[in-house]
Amino acid sequence: MSYEAVGMARHAAEAKPKSKERKPFLPRLGRIKPYMYLLPALISIGFWIYKPLLQTFELSVYQWNLLPTSPKQFVGIKNFANLFGLPEMGIALWNTLIYTLGVIPFSLILPLVIAIATDNIGRKASGFYRALIFLPMIMAPVAVSSVWRWIMHPTNGILNKTLTDWFHLSEPIRFFTDERWAIWSITFITGWKLIGFSTLIFSAALTGINKEYIEAAKIDRASRFQIIWHIILPLLSPTILFMAMMSTLFASEWSFSYINVLTQGGPFNTTTNIYYLLWTYGFQSFNIGASSAAAVVFFLGFGVLAWLFMKLSRKLSFFDN
Amino acid sequence: MEKAIGRKTGIYSASAVKHASLIALALLAVFPLYWMVVTSLKPESEVFTSSLIPLHLTFENYVQAWNAVPMDRMLANSMVVAVIQTVMQLITSILAAYAFTRWEFRGSNLIYGLIALTWLVPFQVIMIPNYVAISGFGWRDHLAGLIVPNIASAFAVLQLYNAFKSYPKTLIEAARLDGASDWGVLWRTIMPNLKAPVASIGILLFITSWNDYFWPLLVTTKLENTTIQKGLQMFISSDGNMWGALMAATTIASLPVLIIYLLLQRQIIDSFVKGGLK
Repeated sequence: MSYEAVGMARHAAEAKPKSKERKPFLPRLGRIKPYMYLLPALISIGFWIYKPLLQTFELSVYQWNLLPTSPKQFVGIKNFANLFGLPEMGIALWNTLIYTLGVIPFSLILPLVIAIATDNIGRKASGFYRALIFLPMIMAPVAVSSVWRWIMHPTNGILNKTLTDWFHLSEPIRFFTDERWAIWSITFITGWKLIGFSTLIFSAALTGINKEYIEAAKIDRASRFQIIWHIILPLLSPTILFMAMMSTLFASEWSFSYINVLTQGGPFNTTTNIYYLLWTYGFQSFNIGASSAAAVVFFLGFGVLAWLFMKLSRKLSFFDN
Repeated sequence: MEKAIGRKTGIYSASAVKHASLIALALLAVFPLYWMVVTSLKPESEVFTSSLIPLHLTFENYVQAWNAVPMDRMLANSMVVAVIQTVMQLITSILAAYAFTRWEFRGSNLIYGLIALTWLVPFQVIMIPNYVAISGFGWRDHLAGLIVPNIASAFAVLQLYNAFKSYPKTLIEAARLDGASDWGVLWRTIMPNLKAPVASIGILLFITSWNDYFWPLLVTTKLENTTIQKGLQMFISSDGNMWGALMAATTIASLPVLIIYLLLQRQIIDSFVKGGLK
């Protein structure tokens, strides 16, 4: 679901175009017809997305332990007042920031560099590379966790063996149990899955820009750096902004599976993040009020962030129109 | 003369840098999967060596993995869930996309907006009420609990809406004049012409559903009632040192998606990138 969001966001950024023609007369049955066609999708989305969203808002003012037999106790805004004093909240927020910033090299910087450096590589070769670098994107997060757990195993993993051979480490790196390394290992795996996909997005955007600008600049004896800085990057800015938004909003959600499979938030909570926290509040400590209140705050926070990004991208998207 | 040669080598070295960076990226992407398959084919004595190819090819890890967990049940569950989900999602979104393109109606923009905005609702924000609902229906540890919450996909509605929009309105009008009903127009006039986009969206939906982990994690507990992803996670956390068997299980769990990818990678990449780029 979360990767689909990349596609969804693009559509959401532009409202459904209105066609102005109106039919003069609509028979009775015709009037409800479109709603009949929409009904199955609407019922499902309403029941499984919007209804639970409202319920989460409702649960955030109650105290409850998820047992159907135990009563929900109304506590008002107490859950919200207690929110930032909750254990692990501080570190989870901090880690969320680390994940968000740590994924940017993989979602933005490296893909942009590679896409620009390898533009015009030829159709045949590019098809071959595309097929290979896209592969991580279609792999299941659990399978990805399993493979990296084996590669990064402290004593038997090939990564540690290679590092020991090359750099003569005094002791192997415990990638998932050393609190200095664990969060970076998870960030790396999250980024590994993303880097090929982002590169292809930027490559596609590059192919789409009008090459006449670049030709004109070349005739004016602009240097390669000038062309990249003054022409290519501004023309790519809508795509750059879009990927920045996706990676900001979803870095933490994308890392959830790796956290749950590989570290369970440990060691000493150094890999937990806000989404993982919602999970542990809800299904480990059964503090439904805290989980729901936190969910409401984060949902609204990310909503505001998304709105700001969209405003910014509308401002910037006048290029080349 | 000299200048010309210099220029030519300049071009060659620029293209060498291009290829080198792409090869590095490709290796980074592919090596883990290569290592997964290679480890799964090594005998136990060889698993802990760094040899890049299996010196004594064996399938004993696959046998071991197959017997350690109810692999056949979990694969069957995954397949049933993914296929039914994909078909249901395609049907609900074809109907919805048709409504949006075919008619002008009150609230159409609002409804479209509500569907489009679901991407802002993370799974973790709605998981508790949905879990309560599933428990209320008695669907925990039940395939219905895995399938029913996912019979519609907002992503598919939006993607299909784009595909439907490109279908010429005049052809629909012509079919109407020939006396076709609205239902007939959809299935006999439009759909035969949109097989390709529908198929590629269907493939994406299948992969997404096959790979899904959150929801099975939440609503299933017993191995024989769960999907292969949750089963694989339980395998990972159960035993520390059966790496050969674990890599075999991981390979099995990834196989359907890898096979589809091998056959249709062009379409898959295109629809992913288009989905991300419109």
